[in-house]
Formats: sequence, C-alpha cells, structure tokens
Amino acid sequence: MTNRYVYGIVDGETIEFETDAVAGAECVYTISHRRLGAVVSDIDTTDPEDTDEDAQRHDDVLREIMDYDGGTTVVPMQFGMAFEGDRELKNVLRGARPAFRRAMTDIEGRFELGLKLVREDDTAVDREAIEADIEDRLEPIAAQSVENDLFSDRLVLNRSYLVGRDERETFDDAVADFEADHDELMVRYTGPFAPYSFVDVKIGAQ
Amino acid sequence: MFVLDDLLFRPFVGIIDALHTIALDELYDVEALEDDLKENQLLYELGERSEAAYQRRKAELEAELETARDVHERLASGRVEVKR
Repeated sequence: MTNRYVYGIVDGETIEFETDAVAGAECVYTISHRRLGAVVSDIDTTDPEDTDEDAQRHDDVLREIMDYDGGTTVVPMQFGMAFEGDRELKNVLRGARPAFRRAMTDIEGRFELGLKLVREDDTAVDREAIEADIEDRLEPIAAQSVENDLFSDRLVLNRSYLVGRDERETFDDAVADFEADHDELMVRYTGPFAPYSFVDVKIGAQ
Repeated sequence: MFVLDDLLFRPFVGIIDALHTIALDELYDVEALEDDLKENQLLYELGERSEAAYQRRKAELEAELETARDVHERLASGRVEVKR
C-alpha cells in the first residue's frame, strides 16, 4: 500500500497514533512539508469506496486528531482524498499553502456543532419565530454559523455553528434552554466535528 | 415522399426527445432520492424509525439512487435511446 489517504492538514505537528482508520488501516501519521502536515493513513487505492463505515472512520479519526495532545487545530478534508505518493501530496501542501494557513487561522481553537430542529409530523410551527429565537440565543455565542440544506419538509432549521472550545458549555446550555422552551420541536444537536462547513479549501487528489 | 416526411416530422421528433429526457430527469430525480436518504437517517437518529425500518428504507433508496445515477450517466453520454 503506497497511496496516502488524507484526513486533514495540521500545523507542522508530528501526529502519530494507532486507530481504526479508513480501509482497514491501523495507524495514522503525518507527512510534512515546510511546517504543514498532512495526517494520513496508507491505502491501496486512490479512489476509496464511500461506505458508511469508512465515512464514520474518517470522522472519528478527525475527532481524535482534534483531541490529540490536548487539542490540535486541523483543516479537515472531505472523505475520499487519496494520493499516489508522498511527492504528489507534498506538491499539494506547497501549492495550497496560503489557503491552508488562512483556514487554520479561521478555525484555530474552534470546532463545529450541528443543530437540526424537526417538527412533529402533521404539526404546523411558526418557522420565522423559531429562527429568530435561535438567532437571539446562539449567534452571540458562536464565532460563525452557516445554513444547511432543508432536505426534509419536517426540518424547520438546519445550521452548523463554529464555536470556540471555551464557549462550548455556554453553547450547550443555550441549546438545552431552547429545547426546554420548545416542546413542539425535536432537537438533534450533534458534534463536536472538525469544522468542515467553515473551510473552503479545494484540492485535487491524484 | 420519405424525404418530405422526414423533413416535416424532424422538429416534432426533436421535441419528443427533449420531453422524454425531461420526464426521465423527473422520474429519476437524484437530488430528491439523496434528500430521502438523509431524511431516513434523521428520523432513525431521532428514534422515530426503528432500525429494521431504517435499514429496509435505506436499501430501497440506495438501489433507486444507483439506478437514477446510471440513467443520468446514460443521458449525459447520449446512450439512452428513445424508442417509438
């Protein structure tokens, strides 16, 4: 297995740990170029199959990286980025260096939390009032937020929030208070995740 | 006579082909199927759908999605023939 599967980019730190990684790999490690490190595992293809299990492993490894050494900032890659070898990967680190640096500054010390509000079946709700309430409670705590796709008629709100580690408890409390005040809604609160929704670095795998 | 028929009817054949393509697009709506998959997952996570019902629906939707993607690939490559 000479190909490298990439989870994310870190600031020069040497990360290495054993884990249940994508495509049966058992260890992740760092390939560095001028103080930027790509956290990778070995893989025998450059076109990994997008299975639920491996997508979950990708997320889990990113979470482990975020927790590594008391907290590590990682620019997450989407599932499926694999490179033929170290040289190709280092070329990407060289070419996209400014974008990775900018992204790292934006997300440093922060992670992503997801919030979905779902109405009961056949129950009408005042969407505008709910959106306004959520905005008042959560936007002052979050560093940024983005609206996600309302993929179901029952979804009233679907947002991702970029929240500082130090603000996590305050944010959790605000979500719990909202839930307590809104019996008419089901709340799906998820995370923390690597901040996928707040980085916009596009690279081509080879 | 054959040539005249061909010239007269060619524009209509073109319209029928286009309508057929639109119908296939709607029948095999990849985006709608992807949304259904996400909704199935959400309802399972919220405890509204049992694991068995979730897995069954997921398998159905994944099969439909594979078919839909295949049809769109064929449409894009011009490999879908409109039979009359």
